[in-house]
Amino acid sequence: MNSYDEIQQFRHQQMTKVSNNHERLNHFHDQIIDNTVKIAMDKVEGEWGIPPAPFAFFLMGSAGRFEQSVWSDQDHGIIFDGSDDCQAYFLRLGSEITNGLTKVGYELCDGNVMASNSIWCQSIERWEIQVERWLLEAKWDSLRHFLTFFDSRVLIGETTFLDQLKNTAFSILQEKPHLYIRLVENVSFVKKGIGAFGQLLPELKGEHSGSIQLKQTTFFPYVNALRLLALKDKIVKPSTLSRFGELSDNYPFIKRYEEDFKRLLDFRLYFRRDAKSYEEVHHIPVSALTKGEKQELKEFMKKGYKLFSETKTIVEKECSTWL
Amino acid sequence: MEIVLMDNLWVIIGTFLVLLMLGGFILLEAGSTRMKNAGHIAGKTIFTAGIGSLVFWAVGYGFIYGDGNWFIGMSNFFYGDSSFSGEGLSPAVDFMFQMMFALISLTIAFGGFAERAKLSAYVIFALLFSAVIYPVVAHWIWGGGWLADHGKQDFAGSTVVHLTGAMAALAATIILKPRIGKYNKDGSSNEIAGHNQVFTALGVLLLWVGWFGFNGASTFEVADAFFGFAILNTQLAAAAGAVAAMFVAWALTGKADVPTTLNGALAGLVAITAPAGFVDPWAAVVIGIIGGIIVVFSMKMFDKAKIDDPIFALSVHGVVGVWGTLANGLFTVPEYAFVGQAGLFYGGGFTQLGVQAMGVVTSGLYAFVVAFVILKIMDKVMGGIRVTEEEEIIGLDLSEHGGYGYPENIPHPSDKSGA
Repeated sequence: MNSYDEIQQFRHQQMTKVSNNHERLNHFHDQIIDNTVKIAMDKVEGEWGIPPAPFAFFLMGSAGRFEQSVWSDQDHGIIFDGSDDCQAYFLRLGSEITNGLTKVGYELCDGNVMASNSIWCQSIERWEIQVERWLLEAKWDSLRHFLTFFDSRVLIGETTFLDQLKNTAFSILQEKPHLYIRLVENVSFVKKGIGAFGQLLPELKGEHSGSIQLKQTTFFPYVNALRLLALKDKIVKPSTLSRFGELSDNYPFIKRYEEDFKRLLDFRLYFRRDAKSYEEVHHIPVSALTKGEKQELKEFMKKGYKLFSETKTIVEKECSTWL
Repeated sequence: MEIVLMDNLWVIIGTFLVLLMLGGFILLEAGSTRMKNAGHIAGKTIFTAGIGSLVFWAVGYGFIYGDGNWFIGMSNFFYGDSSFSGEGLSPAVDFMFQMMFALISLTIAFGGFAERAKLSAYVIFALLFSAVIYPVVAHWIWGGGWLADHGKQDFAGSTVVHLTGAMAALAATIILKPRIGKYNKDGSSNEIAGHNQVFTALGVLLLWVGWFGFNGASTFEVADAFFGFAILNTQLAAAAGAVAAMFVAWALTGKADVPTTLNGALAGLVAITAPAGFVDPWAAVVIGIIGGIIVVFSMKMFDKAKIDDPIFALSVHGVVGVWGTLANGLFTVPEYAFVGQAGLFYGGGFTQLGVQAMGVVTSGLYAFVVAFVILKIMDKVMGGIRVTEEEEIIGLDLSEHGGYGYPENIPHPSDKSGA
C-alpha cells in the first residue's frame, strides 16, 4: 500500500474480518498505523531529506494500551535524540502523520495529544525536563498530561527512549511518594453510570441521549486503577491486560477483576462492532440491551468502582506512611 | 372600621407583592433562555402587563364579576370609582388585586411563546387572552359562574390563574413548534441551556416572596390573622417541592440539576395555591413533595413528546396546577371548607374530588381550545406567529427590538480591537 487512500480502503475492507476479536483487531490497528506512518515518513523524507536524528514514534491512549475499538482517535508523540534544531523536521513529520492518520480514519485528538503539537514532539533532553516538570509542578493538568504520557509504547523507532523517560518518572515518584496521592486524586472522578435506584444512567441530552457513555462510566475505573498500580510497581507495559498479568503477584486482589475486564473488552466489541464513528464506539444505547445485558453492564461498572476504590485505599495507605 | 381598613391595607399590600411577581417572571424567563433574547423577554413582560391591565379595566373585570349568567359576567365594564361602603374591600382595592392575577396568568401563557414568537403575536394575544380566556374561567370559579355553584375550591388560583395560563401556553407551544436546534433528526433532544442560572434562582425567590401576597391576601381580610396560616402552608409546600425535585433529579440522573430544583420550588408554590387555606400544614408538605416529584417527570414527558417548553410553564403551572386543584379533593379539612366540602382523607368521600376534577377538565379544556383557535386564526391572518429562521437565529432582541439586552457581550461585525 503506497497511499493513504489505499490504506483507508484496506482498513474498510478488512475491518469486519477482525472486529470480533480484541487481539486481532488491535494488531490490525497497529499494522494500519505503522503503514500510514511509514508513508508519512517517506513523504517528509522526499521534501526535507532523511531524519536529522534517531527518533521514536510512540502511541498513547487506547492505542498505547492496545485497547482500541473499531474506531479510535489519535494520541501519539515523537521523541528524538538530537538538538532543538531538529524539532522543525519532526514537527513536520508529526503533522504529516496526523494528516495521514486522519485520512485513514483516525479522528483528531480533542486534546491535541499528537506529534504535530510541540508539547508531544521534543528531544529526549526536553522530554526529560517536561516529565520532571509535570510531576514536580503537580498541577491537575500537568499530572493529567503525565498520566496520558505514561500509557505509551513505541510503534516505530528506538524503544529505549520511552523506557528512559518512564524510568526518570519512576525515580521522581520514588523520591516524592506523596505524588502518588496526587495522581490518585487526578483520576478519582468517575462519571456515574448507576443511579440511586440501581438503574443505568444514560446520557440525557443530545444525539447520544439514551446511551451509556462506556468509556468514562465503565472503562476508566479499570484503566486508571491498573495504571496507578503500574506506576507504583514500575511496570512500563501500557496495556491494562498486561498490567493485570504483571501486578497480580504483588496485588492478589486484582485477580478478581481481570476476567471482568476481558469480558468488558469483548462486550464493547460485540455491541459496537458496527459503529459508524469514533463517538458511536463509546456509546451503547440502553434500548439495545436485554435485561441480562443491562445487568452484566451494571456488574462491570460496580466491579470497576470496587477495583478503583480498593486500589485507591492501598495507594493512599502505602504512600501516606512514607510521608 | 379599623379592621375593615386593615383588610383593605392587607389586600393592597398583597397586590404589590403579586405585581412584583412579574419581576420574578422576568428574571426566571430571561435566565432560562438565551442571552440574545433577554432584553425581549424582559421588555415584553412589561408591555404585555400594560396591555393586560387596560383590557382588564375595560372588559376583563366586568366579564368576571359583572352581573351575567353561568358562563360570563356582563356589567361593570371600564370599571372604577372612589366609592366605599365601609364594609369589605373598597372596589378599587378589590379591582387592583384581581387585576394582578389576570396579569400573572397572561405572563404564564407567554411562557409558551418564548424565544420564537413575533412581538405582534404577543400584542394581539395579550388583548384576546385578557378579554375572552382568563375572564371566562375566573367567572366560572370566582365570579359566581357554574363551577362556583358546584362548590369548586380554588383558594388563590391553581386552576384560574396557573392552569388557564399553562393551557394557553400549551396551545402556543404546539402551534409555534420547537425552537431551532432543540430536536435532532433522530428525535433526540438537545439542551438549550438558559444563559443565567443566578437570574433564574433570583426569579424563583422573588416569585416565592410574591406568592405570600398571592395566597396570603387571598383571605381578603385580616380576621383571625388567617393569612398567616395560608402563608405558612405556602412556605412549607415550596420548601418541600424544592427538596423533593432535587432529590428525585439526583436519584434519577445522578446530577442535582439546578433548573429542576428551582422548578421544584415553583411546583410546590403552584400546588399549594388552590389548597393554601383549606389544608393542614402536614398536608401542605405532602402536596409540595408530590408537586416537586410530578414536575420532574412532567418535564421529561413534554421533552419526549417533542413539545418544546423553554421555561417549563406547562409542567410547573399546568400539570402541577392540576395536581394542586385535585389536592383539595383529598386534603381539605372540614372546618376550613368555607366553600365546598371536606376532602377524601377527612371523610368527605369523592364528592369534592369529583368537583375539583370537573373544574380542572372543563377550565383546562376551555382555555386550551379557545387559545388554540385564536392562535390558529392569528397564525393564518398574520402570515405566521413565529419569527423567520434568520430572526430566530439573530435573536429577538435585535430582530424585534433593534438592540441587545446585553450589547457589550454580543460581538458585532464592526467591532474593532486594538489601535
